[in-house]
Amino acid sequence: MNPLLEQFLSEARDFLQGIGEKLMQLENAPDDAALMGELFRLVHTLKGNSGLFDFPEMTRVLHAGEDLMDAVRNGRVAYSRLLADCLLDAMDFVGMLCNEIEANGAMGVTHAGTSVRLVESLRQLMERDAAGPRHADTIETAEAETASGATEHPSASFRADLPLAVIPEAARMDAYRHAGAGHLLHWIAYTPSEQCFYQGEDPFFLARQTPELRWGCIEARDPWPPLAEMDAYCCLLDFCLLTAAPRAELEEHYRYVMDQVEIAPLPRLALVLPQGDSNGGPVYDDFATDARHLLATGDLVGLARNAGTMLELSNPDLWIASALRWLRLMLEIEPENRAALAVLVESLSRLAAPDWASIQIGTTGSAEHSEITRPSQPDDGQFVATASESRPMEPINQGQAMANGPASAEADALAAIVATQREILALTDDPAWLPGRIKAAAAALAGCLRVSVAPDALPGLETGLDAATTLALADNSGAALLAWLDGQFSPSLDLSDAEGAAADGSVNAEETTATMARESTTQAPLAPTPPPEGDGEIKFGRRAEDAIAGPKSLKVDQAKIDRLMNLIGEMVVAKNALPYLAGRAEAVFGVRELSRDIKGHYAVINRIAEEMQDAIMQVRMMPVSFVFQRFPRLVRDISRKLGKEVNLVLEGEETEADKNIIEALGDPLMHIVRNSLDHGIELPEVRRVAGKPAAGTLTLRAAQESDRVVIVIQDDGKGIDPDAIKRKAYAKGLIDEATLERIGDQEAVNLVFAAGFSTAEQVSDLSGRGVGMDVVRTAVDKVNGTLALTSERGRGTHLSLSLPLSMAVTNVMIVVSDGQRFGIPMDSVVETVRVPRAAIRTIKHSLATVLRGRIVPLKSINGLLGLDVAPKANADDELAVLVVRLGNEAVGLLVDDFRETLDIILKPMTGVLAGIPAYAGSALMGDGSVLMVLNVKEIL
Amino acid sequence: MKRILIVDDAATVRLYHREILETANYAVEEAMNGIEALEKALQSPFDLYLVDINMPKLDGYGFLRELRGQDLPQAPAIMISTEAQANDEQRAYIAGANIYLIKPVKPDRLLTQVRLLLGDVYR
Repeated sequence: MNPLLEQFLSEARDFLQGIGEKLMQLENAPDDAALMGELFRLVHTLKGNSGLFDFPEMTRVLHAGEDLMDAVRNGRVAYSRLLADCLLDAMDFVGMLCNEIEANGAMGVTHAGTSVRLVESLRQLMERDAAGPRHADTIETAEAETASGATEHPSASFRADLPLAVIPEAARMDAYRHAGAGHLLHWIAYTPSEQCFYQGEDPFFLARQTPELRWGCIEARDPWPPLAEMDAYCCLLDFCLLTAAPRAELEEHYRYVMDQVEIAPLPRLALVLPQGDSNGGPVYDDFATDARHLLATGDLVGLARNAGTMLELSNPDLWIASALRWLRLMLEIEPENRAALAVLVESLSRLAAPDWASIQIGTTGSAEHSEITRPSQPDDGQFVATASESRPMEPINQGQAMANGPASAEADALAAIVATQREILALTDDPAWLPGRIKAAAAALAGCLRVSVAPDALPGLETGLDAATTLALADNSGAALLAWLDGQFSPSLDLSDAEGAAADGSVNAEETTATMARESTTQAPLAPTPPPEGDGEIKFGRRAEDAIAGPKSLKVDQAKIDRLMNLIGEMVVAKNALPYLAGRAEAVFGVRELSRDIKGHYAVINRIAEEMQDAIMQVRMMPVSFVFQRFPRLVRDISRKLGKEVNLVLEGEETEADKNIIEALGDPLMHIVRNSLDHGIELPEVRRVAGKPAAGTLTLRAAQESDRVVIVIQDDGKGIDPDAIKRKAYAKGLIDEATLERIGDQEAVNLVFAAGFSTAEQVSDLSGRGVGMDVVRTAVDKVNGTLALTSERGRGTHLSLSLPLSMAVTNVMIVVSDGQRFGIPMDSVVETVRVPRAAIRTIKHSLATVLRGRIVPLKSINGLLGLDVAPKANADDELAVLVVRLGNEAVGLLVDDFRETLDIILKPMTGVLAGIPAYAGSALMGDGSVLMVLNVKEIL
Repeated sequence: MKRILIVDDAATVRLYHREILETANYAVEEAMNGIEALEKALQSPFDLYLVDINMPKLDGYGFLRELRGQDLPQAPAIMISTEAQANDEQRAYIAGANIYLIKPVKPDRLLTQVRLLLGDVYR
């Protein structure tokens, strides 16, 4: 996979996670503007990233999400749970696509449908809210903005608000054809008043009678209320209509409801919106190349013929086929409009509607713009048509330029840059940073000069530019530079499309001359002047936040850390060989000094190795939040599915533990939480009856207790009914009748961890098939964790998991039996005692002794391992007893002797040995020998 | 070698632009937000800035305004945006951008603009 894609995927995951978190937070604080802004930024950036690749489905969905968040951010659409749901769905879809891309290097072709559905649901949310009167405001603002800007402005709100894509292609083609015949299209949004039926209005009839109606649709304004609450006399419908009638006629038609109608002119090109399955192929690339060439040479007949052939070869449902149909129609209706044709061909070559749409919007914007600036023009169909044809000139210039070769593309770009600098210099505001802006524009112009002017003319021009810049800076206005530009630059370069900007420029140039004349009387000619004083002119000092450039962190592949971990493990083992070496030096070779030196050195290496080990462990530490963070979403989804109300409380998320432990925690926790939601917390009605708050509380709490992490999952649900458990266990044959009578409530509750146990009368899809809790126990056992479950009927359940901080190093005690050394994990060791042989009793066939008033059963380790030797006693006839914990009970192991405790790197048994459950694994000792570590639970 | 600063919070975009610019033999540095960019520019001004709009801490507009307010040799800046926000172009110019491009920027398009702004002859 290429590094860019890799980067994208890894970053996309981070963004998706961030988006999920922000949405969850918004749920609690829906009015938090900062949060909303941050959420928008995340979606926006992710969309921007996806645009770098050819993932149209993904980009489309993200785009819709972005528009929606933009609307929410600006208060046009209210935040709601429904909205959060839609957005979460969309993000899940994007996440799924990311996984697919990562797995297959590409995206499957089957997602077009899903993406369209998601986009529609997102857009609907936006339209529903935006269709109200506020909508009119935004359009007006957009128009005002368009009017103020000199060049075309991408006005996303326009496109987003007009659901042109829902109009069937045939209807759009029909309207387009009609518009081609000289009619002007209008888009009508009619929002009848809710009380309209009482005012003798008939919105449906009125809409149906709209003159020259080409297409229309009716939408519900809000989600439909439940039938019982619906007011049949209240109009809840919105009408969207596409008509080819002139505005005056429409205004006449809707004269009684003008306040409820919004009429927007619609350039016919806006309708040219290919749709369909976006599959393509190399054959289309060839077509696009040919088409560009044919267009450049003006061979429209050839182009139409090619398009026709291509169309016959294509599946009519394809996006490309739709685009080809449009191309043919455009060739028929407006063959003279090369600009628009080129745009469509460009879009075809990219197979990408969005690009086409962005150009389209420019067209749309300018059409509106003209409509506003010249309101006096009556039925100005002609005018708008001209506008929409002339606006895309810039893209076509570039398109042709590309066909002619890079040099002329460069010339076009150059002209565009110069025109933009003119525009910048002509800005009439006076901000504190104006000198910098002028200097920057001058720098940009200097660059352009260097590439466009003959080398010998360059020095003179550069001097002129410098002088003009100095003058402009002194004057604190771009006018001087503009004037110079008009004098120097424009004759050669002003053949561009920047008439508007040029006009501005000349107006300003006149002003400049005037200003300069005035200035020269009041001010002496200007040597480099200090930049003019503005308020806060150099206001940037070092601020507190500057110093903190964000936490410096590295992303490292896990395999690298694991390797480091293995290496330090080997080093610890290798280091442990030194004391043996020292012993040999003294005992075998009799060099005591060398032995002492080796020991001294060993101390140093030992310290470093331990620190290093500690440092690596630190790297592997992860906060519990890594597992916790998925629960807000999970709990929210499940509780809604079950119709329960649950408050999730997370505590101690910053508690850290080894990565393996944290990862091993994920699934068990998920099971437990699901169980709590499914079986623990009751439905709101039940809770109310029981006198509890309707919303249940589920608490996940993590804390570090010495060298263990303790995780508590607590709910205030109905608790576990020990009697039900007992009956169930008996029914399932897990316990016999005698046990049924005997066991206490606490023991009964613990039966839920027995394999194959399920108390749910009905198996639900949430907490698995009732296998949950024994899976939990197995998973916790695997990482040497322990589980404790307590439950109070009617009050709730409390489950606590205690896990080691790290699994990488195991602390074992070494014991000797029958001349062999064995390791016993210190986790299970309670104490070591020496018991006089006389204190050992035989009860039936078992040995036992009394320790501090408690009977402790004794087992001989030799017996357990099948070694046919009796335990040895020491000189005082005392036997060594290692007391180990087994569940909640203590058992004494009879061994020959105790040795030291040791940190070892436990290697699991592999190969044929993996089948021997008596051993947890093996470890290499410093002297090169192998220590077998016993699995206490298994041998007992 | 001319130095270009890429200011963008999205690592993917930074990588994309970096690859384009480095193939064309420019020295590229990156900043994740306006504050970081400003610090880098203050340490040693660049020959060109490639600036994203939406960033945490200090956005593209803010960065350009601060940059243009400094008493430094001023270099051209290209503002790179997605099309989502209307009226961005004007705001970008007001804040001190010299060129406004829409994401995703095709490699040759970006290079043309960069070369022109820096006065580097084509090829």
